[in-house]
Formats: sequence, structure tokens, C-alpha cells
Amino acid sequence: MCSSEVEREIPAVFYDGVTSKPQEATVRVSDLNSLEVVLPDGARFQWPLEHKGMEWERSSSMLRLSFGDHPRRVLLIRDELFIKSFVLRMRYTGRQGGYDRILSFARSGPVAFFLGVVALLVCAYLWVLPWAAERLVLLVPTSLDERIGEAAYQQMAFALKEDQGKTVALQAFGDAMELSPSFEPRYHVVEDAQVNAFALPGGHIVVFTGILEKMSSAGELAALLAHEATHVEKRHSTRMMARSMAGYLFLSLLIGDVNAVVTLVAENANALRNLDYGRGLESEADGVGQEVLFANDLDPMAMVRLLELLEREATDVPEVLAFLSSHPLTEDRITAARERAGSLGVPQRPNERLGVLFEQLHPTTDQPTDEMPSSDN
Amino acid sequence: MLGAPPAQRFAFKGKGGDLFVVLIVNMLLTFITLGLYYPWAKARKLSWYYEHTELDGHPFHFHGTGSEMFRGFIKAIALLLLIYGTYIVGVLTKEVTIVLVGILVMFVGLLAFIPLVIHGSLRYRSSRSSWRGIHFGYRGQLRELYRICLRDGLLTLITLGIYASWFTINVRRYTLSHMRYGSSSYAYKGDGTEYFLLNLKGYFLTLFTLGIYAFWWQRDLFNYYVNNLVWNFQDGKRIDFKSTATGGGFFGLMVVNLLIIIFTLGIGFAWVEVRTMRYVMENIRMEGDADLNAVVQTEQEHKNAMADDLGDLMDIGVFF
Repeated sequence: MCSSEVEREIPAVFYDGVTSKPQEATVRVSDLNSLEVVLPDGARFQWPLEHKGMEWERSSSMLRLSFGDHPRRVLLIRDELFIKSFVLRMRYTGRQGGYDRILSFARSGPVAFFLGVVALLVCAYLWVLPWAAERLVLLVPTSLDERIGEAAYQQMAFALKEDQGKTVALQAFGDAMELSPSFEPRYHVVEDAQVNAFALPGGHIVVFTGILEKMSSAGELAALLAHEATHVEKRHSTRMMARSMAGYLFLSLLIGDVNAVVTLVAENANALRNLDYGRGLESEADGVGQEVLFANDLDPMAMVRLLELLEREATDVPEVLAFLSSHPLTEDRITAARERAGSLGVPQRPNERLGVLFEQLHPTTDQPTDEMPSSDN
Repeated sequence: MLGAPPAQRFAFKGKGGDLFVVLIVNMLLTFITLGLYYPWAKARKLSWYYEHTELDGHPFHFHGTGSEMFRGFIKAIALLLLIYGTYIVGVLTKEVTIVLVGILVMFVGLLAFIPLVIHGSLRYRSSRSSWRGIHFGYRGQLRELYRICLRDGLLTLITLGIYASWFTINVRRYTLSHMRYGSSSYAYKGDGTEYFLLNLKGYFLTLFTLGIYAFWWQRDLFNYYVNNLVWNFQDGKRIDFKSTATGGGFFGLMVVNLLIIIFTLGIGFAWVEVRTMRYVMENIRMEGDADLNAVVQTEQEHKNAMADDLGDLMDIGVFF
């Protein structure tokens, strides 16, 4: 203690732990390692500072010392000067906890501290979290993708009206190329007027008759399958799930205690960010899909024609609005695909086999009434 | 003492900025430790609230520590994992009967925890709370609480929810009447019928006034809680709690709170908490001449925080 504190008598409140009667005590610094407590009835005793049973807590307005087994004896001191020198003395002998250091640091500049914490959290959310989520997916075996996709497909198979003949033809069409080395894609043609297709994790790829009918070349179908197979090969669904789960965990960790408004704002921001990530995955599926096309001796320009077809249909038919939300067809995507096609060039030996297979899937003669969808959507 | 107005003896002295710093530090540490700091954060927060709540100028104190709550936290997580794990294994077997049994076990299992959570939380929190060095305590029996919950739960089901008012008050009466402060004890005089009528009136008037009566309904609920609470002392004397809350008061409190939350995008949360605590503490008055100095320490320590943490994980609010 500072020497000026030695002489002073500090007012304190003493609870003896036996009754609820508070006692107005005075405290004096008797030596370096203890305080002398004097009670109103004249009784005095030593209060050791360096003892295992002695604990102290400092809140914003007071110091609380407690000692002994349950029920503990307690001293409350509100004298600010005393509290300051007491904390200095305890810090000197290393008896100040890390928490108190952080708290007093935070109190010295609450606004700056708050902004610092927010900046740290934002950085973690934007960079550390996605990185960790992606690493996590690498640890998950690909068989999990297959199991999830299989379960999802079994659940929705009831509602899908599969065209068995075309499914076989599409499988042959897909097998004629090398689209996804890590998985074995299973193709399905479903009778539905929607100009749409989707891929489930692990390999199920569903193509609606609506989009098949709009196609005019084998290259467009190959581009579509290459795009969807890239979703499977690059495990986009699993990555998306890992990302949104990590994002959700992150948020619930942070705002577990905070009110509904913060939760609402944070969850919407998270959803927006997932949507943004989803667009990134679409671009990746376009780009890698084009490389896959090239590797299979197909012209990467087919992707451009596919995207143009989708954009055309998107503006014509209102049913494809749902398609728009997951596949944002913008000029940007088409432009990017055109540029990539330019840099990849045209394959040396054009792939001829696919044309024949495509004819089986696209008989322009036997389905004249394509305006009347035969299945419910 | 007759005729004297009820005295204001409770006070809340916390400042919003101070709570804000505590919460931000909690947030930082919880984040850095990937959530493991949660029990310590909870202990810090509770300590802060207790330390700034005063009766007759003396603060309350929360004795719970992060490490004992951490042990409870781990136990609670293990218990929930066991239940969910059993359910998931059941689902994976893909046999319909096993899945149905699993679902039943999960829901019944989770419901069966509620009395345990209430009982354990009350025991833990009260034992770890003190005022002037004397600890609070809860001496209710878990069996009795299960009996009340099972009986009233069934009656609530049979009456399609109407009995819920009696259920609430029966649980409240049983738990509050077994709360102690050293050698003194508490009692709750509330009764389900009165509480039901109060809710019926509140519900319809809120409907007719397009929601405006909600603040007065809130006042009635608060008053019903406070005005029926009695503090009994060994020498036969007692203190009655009296609420001075008003509908207008609740209106001002809640509307301003809402505005603070909206315009600060939630950052003003700490100030909202402080305003609410201050309003509550200033409006719980005391009437009676019992001697608060004469209470003697009686309660043992109870350091098992599992039920309290289980309540957190299951999102059950035991404390109102």
C-alpha cells in the first residue's frame, strides 16, 4: 500500500456470515500482507491479503473482500482511493485476474473497445469462418454427399414423374463424357414444363422435359450436364450447408443473449451473404463446366448458348421465377462465359457421338403439344 | 405503521454504459473461446445485476462461479446429446415403430426435464445468492413439484389450455412458498381463479382497445406477482410487498425501450435492461416493521448448476 494509505481509517461494511446485521467497521492497513478491521464494539482482527481463502472482487463502485468457508465473512469498501491502491497492490503480487485487466482496459475506452470487437467479429465472419467451413468439408468423406443426396432423392422421387425411356437415353448421353471423376452421376428426365434442372449432392441430376424441348443442340445439353455435374463434383451443396451452418452457429454463439432486433438483422445479413455465396458457386459451375466441356472435346461456347437460352426463357415464362433466384442469369455470367470460351478455344477433334444420343432425347416430331404440361408442377 | 405508505427500499444502481462494457467483454471472450466461455460470461452478467441491486442500501451478491457453471454446462450438454442421440439412432434404423417410439421418448423426455430444471435452477440460484452475508435457499421437494406438474399438465391438456392459469399459479405458489432467506421465509397467496379472470379481462380488453390495454394487462400481471408475496420472519412479524407500477408507467417504459432498440439497431440493449431493472426495483415497495437485522444464516451451499444450464440450453425461463 502507499504510505499515505497507512494512517487512514477507511469506512467499511462488515457482514459476519452468521446474522444479517451489518456492522459499520473501519479498516486500516496494518502491514503489507493484512488489513486490520475494527468493529463498532471495539473488537479488532487481522484480515490476511495473501491467503488462499481470501477473495476479492471489484465492481464499478465497490470492492468486496470475502474470507473463509461457507458462510463467508465479507467486507464491503466504497472508498475510491483505497480501492485504487488496493488493486495496484494486488496487481503487484500478481493477484489480479485476467478478466479484471480486460475489463479495466475496456472501461478506459468503451467506444473504441466496442468498435475493435465489432471489427474483429466482422473479419472473423468474412474470412475466418468461410475458410474454416471449407476446411471442414474437406474432412467430410464424399460418401456423406452420396447419402444425403440419396435420401433427398428418395423423398422427392414420389412427386417427380420420371420418363424412364428418356432417363436411359440421358444416362447414355452423360456417360459418353467424363463429367465428374469423384462421383458417378445418375441422370433423370422428369416430365415438367419448367425450364429447369438441378443437382443433388452425390450425383443425382434431374433435368426437366421443359428445358430439353427448348434446346437445339447436343452442345447445350452437354453444357447443362457439365454445369450440374460441377455442382456435384465441387460438392457445392455440402459446402453451402457447411457455410450456412457455420454462419448460424457463429451468430447464435454471439447473439445468444441479445434481443430480437439484432437477431433479425444478423440473420437476414447472413441469408443475404449465403445468397451471394450461391451466386459465386453458379459462376464456378459455369467456368469449371466449360473446362469439362473442352476436356470432352466439346466447344465451350455451348455454355454461352445455354445461358442465353435460359435468359430468353426466364423473361418469357413466369414459372421460371424460382429458377432465377438460384441461378441469377445476368449479362455478367454470359459475358464471363464468352470470355472463357474465347481463351479456351475450339477443341481439335469435335465430339460427334453426342449428336446421335441427343436426337433420342429431343424428338421434335412426337411431342407437338408442348404448351400443355402433362404433369403438375 | 398503519397508514404509512409502503416504503421504497429496493433500488437498482447499475448504469447502461457499465453493463454495455461487461456484455461486450463477455461477447469477445465467448467468441475467442468458441463458446466455451459461456458459463463464465453468464456468471459475470448475473454478478453485475446482483451487485447493482440494493435493498436498504446493501447490495445483493451472486456467488456462482464460471467453473461450477461450466461443470453444469457440460453435464447438461451430455444429457441433451444422449436424448437427441438416442432419437437420431432410432431414425437411422428406419423402422417406423422404432422411429415413433424415439420421437415419443424425445418429447416426453424433454417435457419430463421441466420440473427438474425449475427445481434445480431455484436451488442453485437461491443458494448462490446472498444479501448482507446471509444466503437464500429453496427447500421445495422435487417429487412434489413433479406431482403438481403432472396433475396440472394433464388438466391443462383436458381443458384445452384453460387450466394453464391455475397451473402457473400452483407452480408459483409452491416454489415461492419454499424460498427462504436464512431463517426467514416467503409465501405466495395468489390463486388460479383470480389469475384466470385477470388474464381473461386483459385478453379481451387488449383485443377491444387494439392492443393499447396490453400495458395495463402487464401492470396487472406484475401487481399480481408482487402484491401476493409475503416475507415471514421467525418472530411472527412480516413484510408485505406492494407494487406501485402503473399502466402508464409500463407504457412509457416499453415504448421508449422499443425506440431505443430500433434506433440503435439493438446496440442500446444494455440501456434498455437498466431502464427495466430500475423501473421494476423502484416499484416493488415494502410494508411492515419486521427487523431485517435479526435473520440468521441457515442454508447450506448447493453448487450443482446442471439444471440451471439445462434450462438455458432448453430455453426454459425459470426466473421472471
